[in-house]
Amino acid sequence: MTSQLTAVLCRSSFDHQMAPKYNIQNHLQLFLFYIELVCIVCVLQLLHMSVFSQSFSPCGRYLAAGNNYGEIALFSLSAALSPDATVQSQKPVLTFTAHEGPVFTLISSDCHLLSAGNGEISAWSWTELIKKVTVSLNTQQPGKQHDLIIPEINAMIINPRDNSLVVGGGDNNVHILDLEHGVFKSVLQGHSDYIHCVSVREREADILSGSEDGAVRIWDSRMDQSVHCIEVYKYESCARPQYGKWISCVTTDSDWMLCGGGPSLSLWHLRSLSPTSIFPLTGCQRQAAFHQDMILAVGDGPFVSHCLLGGEVKAQIPCTPQSLNTLQLNTNSTEHRVLTAGGSSDHIEVFTNLSYRAFSLSF
Amino acid sequence: MSSDALKKRKSKVLRSEGGTPEMKRGRELDQQDVRVYSEEVELDGRDPEQDYLLYKESCEGLATLMSEIQDLKANGAKEGVRITQSGETYVKLILCIHFMNLKKLNRLAHMRLKRGRDQTHEAKQRVDVLHLQLQNLLYEVLHLQKEISKCLEFKSKHEDIDLVSEEEFYQEAPAEISRPHLTANDPHQLTLARLDWELEQRKRLAEKYKESLATKEKIQKSIEVKKEHLTSLQPGLNAIMQASLPVQQYLSMPFEQIQKQTEVARHLPPPLYVLFVQANAYGQACDKNLTVSISGDVDEAKALSKPPEDSQDDESDSDAEEEQEKTKRRRPTTGGQLDEKRKEMLKRHPLSLCLDLKCKDGSILHLYFYYLMNLNIMTVKTKVSTSTDLSTAISAGDLLKSDTLLSCLYTGDHGRETPNPANRYQFDKVGIVSFVDYVDELGYPYMWVQTLGGLHFPKDSSEVCVEINSLSASQMESTMKLLRGRVQSRLALHKQFASLEHSIIPVSSECQHLFPAKIMSSLARWTAITHEDYMDLPYTRHVTDAGLAKETDLYFMTVVERGTARLHAAVVLSPRYPAVSPLFSLCLSWKGERSGRTDDNLRAMESEVNVFKSELQGPRPGHQLLTNQISRLCVCLDVYLETEGQDDGVEGPREFPREKMCLRTVRGPNRLKPFKYNHPQGFFSHR
Repeated sequence: MTSQLTAVLCRSSFDHQMAPKYNIQNHLQLFLFYIELVCIVCVLQLLHMSVFSQSFSPCGRYLAAGNNYGEIALFSLSAALSPDATVQSQKPVLTFTAHEGPVFTLISSDCHLLSAGNGEISAWSWTELIKKVTVSLNTQQPGKQHDLIIPEINAMIINPRDNSLVVGGGDNNVHILDLEHGVFKSVLQGHSDYIHCVSVREREADILSGSEDGAVRIWDSRMDQSVHCIEVYKYESCARPQYGKWISCVTTDSDWMLCGGGPSLSLWHLRSLSPTSIFPLTGCQRQAAFHQDMILAVGDGPFVSHCLLGGEVKAQIPCTPQSLNTLQLNTNSTEHRVLTAGGSSDHIEVFTNLSYRAFSLSF
Repeated sequence: MSSDALKKRKSKVLRSEGGTPEMKRGRELDQQDVRVYSEEVELDGRDPEQDYLLYKESCEGLATLMSEIQDLKANGAKEGVRITQSGETYVKLILCIHFMNLKKLNRLAHMRLKRGRDQTHEAKQRVDVLHLQLQNLLYEVLHLQKEISKCLEFKSKHEDIDLVSEEEFYQEAPAEISRPHLTANDPHQLTLARLDWELEQRKRLAEKYKESLATKEKIQKSIEVKKEHLTSLQPGLNAIMQASLPVQQYLSMPFEQIQKQTEVARHLPPPLYVLFVQANAYGQACDKNLTVSISGDVDEAKALSKPPEDSQDDESDSDAEEEQEKTKRRRPTTGGQLDEKRKEMLKRHPLSLCLDLKCKDGSILHLYFYYLMNLNIMTVKTKVSTSTDLSTAISAGDLLKSDTLLSCLYTGDHGRETPNPANRYQFDKVGIVSFVDYVDELGYPYMWVQTLGGLHFPKDSSEVCVEINSLSASQMESTMKLLRGRVQSRLALHKQFASLEHSIIPVSSECQHLFPAKIMSSLARWTAITHEDYMDLPYTRHVTDAGLAKETDLYFMTVVERGTARLHAAVVLSPRYPAVSPLFSLCLSWKGERSGRTDDNLRAMESEVNVFKSELQGPRPGHQLLTNQISRLCVCLDVYLETEGQDDGVEGPREFPREKMCLRTVRGPNRLKPFKYNHPQGFFSHR
């Protein structure tokens, strides 16, 4: 009992100015009193929690999720999906503070979990994490440091072609980190505002980035130069001036690109660089993904939108958070093939079947 | 005698037989002078048998004569006068004689009857006398017999006396009393001797008793004398005490007062006594600003403490139950009686304890502790007296009220239900649904009050079972600290509310650095709302769902305004403020309605005031928290409005020109605005 309570105390980031200076055994009631205060603080934190990023482990049995307090939680999908799952199995098996600020992005390489938030990228070994050991292997900071503000990292993606990590963030530049040597190889400069999202076209060795300035730039990774610049807000069919011009999600699939944000979510043909279909979704989309012959998108509003490539919205599947930030499909394991979505809540929605919400994992 | 008389009569009769004709003659001769005598004498001498025969003879003679005459008459009538004159005269004579005889005989018979009667009478009288004598004798016999039996039945008193046994008697009694030669064989003598011995002994004891009485008298007298001596000392001592009072006061050693108080304290019920002792001890050892006093009717308490109540209680309870049933059957409205019983059950001890906690700023928290005798729980009522007038703030109405002031001092301690599980059954009996209806009148039975009084009730669902020795002492210090903190925070809140209602946000100099110098948004409204109102608000549902809006909390609605934008904030104020921080839920009405649930930036503002509040706490113990939170809300609203939609040239001048210095207006995937103020440089950045 006592050990549990102390565990609660240690777990919380509660300000310890009120913490007990008394002997636990003698002042149990007073101690419980403080414990309750700590619990209230915990509940408050949960109430204002947002989930920004998710990543499945290479084995597909675990899901890592990062929130706005800089914590990364590890959920065991195999436990949560097992037939005898309890409420406890929907809780994280491991929670640790990875960064000072929010964890905006998470990505898994073959054996590492890479996390980034305010300025720094940390690497965690999956095998260690599964054993509940949290040791940061390596931290890198792209770009030069400003005195006052640390540029955040909003998006990361691994380019498997040359085993490099594409990083986009607050300093308006796309950095490319060589994962072999752990050094930054190159910087792609051109955006005039911070970068929301990055994507990689595997066949063409192209890198795409969407930015707050409203442009999607296509870079040639070999030449470190911007090949194309699509200013989506300038296309009348996509523009939504009431929201703004930023591009918050970019995804590609062979010759096709999905982008959205302030402008409507739209499907582009990359060879002709023209929008082919525009999806009539209200609110700004934060993340979109191709799934078979469908497009899944999340953003403002408590639902996951299913769209057909033709431009119709097929379904909107409700879920609990009021807005969603992240959407991930587990392709690493056929056994635990689930869709997870997180947003402005401490819950991560799990869809075993795409057409309804099965349950929630929670911090 | 009778035989003599009979002989005489016989002789007379014999004589008269012979002399009858002469006597007749003589009688006829002396008729004039000795008739009565002669007749009586004659009677003695005659035989009644003879007389009877004579009578028969005369009667026959008469009959024959009559028939002769008859015949003659009949013949004479036929034959004519054949009868001679002489014959006729003869017959007539004889007839006369016969008649005379008959007459005589009749007379004699009468006389004889009379005589017989007299004789019988005489004899009868004699018999009567004898009979009477016999009766007397018989009665005498009976009386004597009775006397005898009475004598036989007589009980002597000595049989009741518990005498010493015979052996003892022979051993102890002197020979002149026991006289063994006489008494050995005669039980009567023995008893007499034993009685003598008894008498002797009693006489001796009486003597002893008299002596003892005398000594007792003597001792009593000496006691009296001593008493008198002692009482004569009293006024002198009193005078000395009186004289020493100013000295005590001067030296600030209120011995007398303490003594009086302890005297009264003896009549306190045990829980209040425990509290009294502990509070006194704590006050002396640690806290000079704590004073304890006892109020209430001491005499009543004295009367109460005498009879043992418990046993009676049970009986009366069962009685009451029966009675209740009876009355129920009799008439349906027994409200008055039930009321009476309720009152009896909720009766509190005549004495109460008053703890005065003085705070640094001169305000005093008065705690009145009561003990409910039949429920065996303690309750508390509170009052706060302050040095300044506090009637200005309307929304602060509940802050210093008894019912919210001490609620939740410890975890989940609302003081609404009685902590004694046994009370539930007592309540069922008299039809009390819940103790809540009576708390206003009786005070609040908080758990900590019971603990201070040394009462410990096991809980229904206690996951932690703590064995606390010296229950009261263990909590005294922490409770007093909490109480003091609570009052101070409430008073601070009270002041803050007063200025908030006038749309002024008081920010102390220690906290100036938390906010920029120029804040454009201003507080427009600060009002108290009810729990139900709060629950009805659409943008507080997440708070309610998370279980952070409890019935014991206080609720407020505040509006921050700038231009056309109005930011509504619903505030949950925990009774344990500032340990538990106020919780804000936001809703902005500007170009449409958005709330913290749907807008990420408003959500960020909420977390800015709710989660990152530790920097807002100001100097300990953090009474400034609420006003600082509201100030930050104003700052955040400024930032929100100034950074909103700055791109896309909307016609006309911007409503809210950029004044705040921001390094970046948006950041991160959810495009948050920079709400964090950096003090010395004066710019806003992201968290």
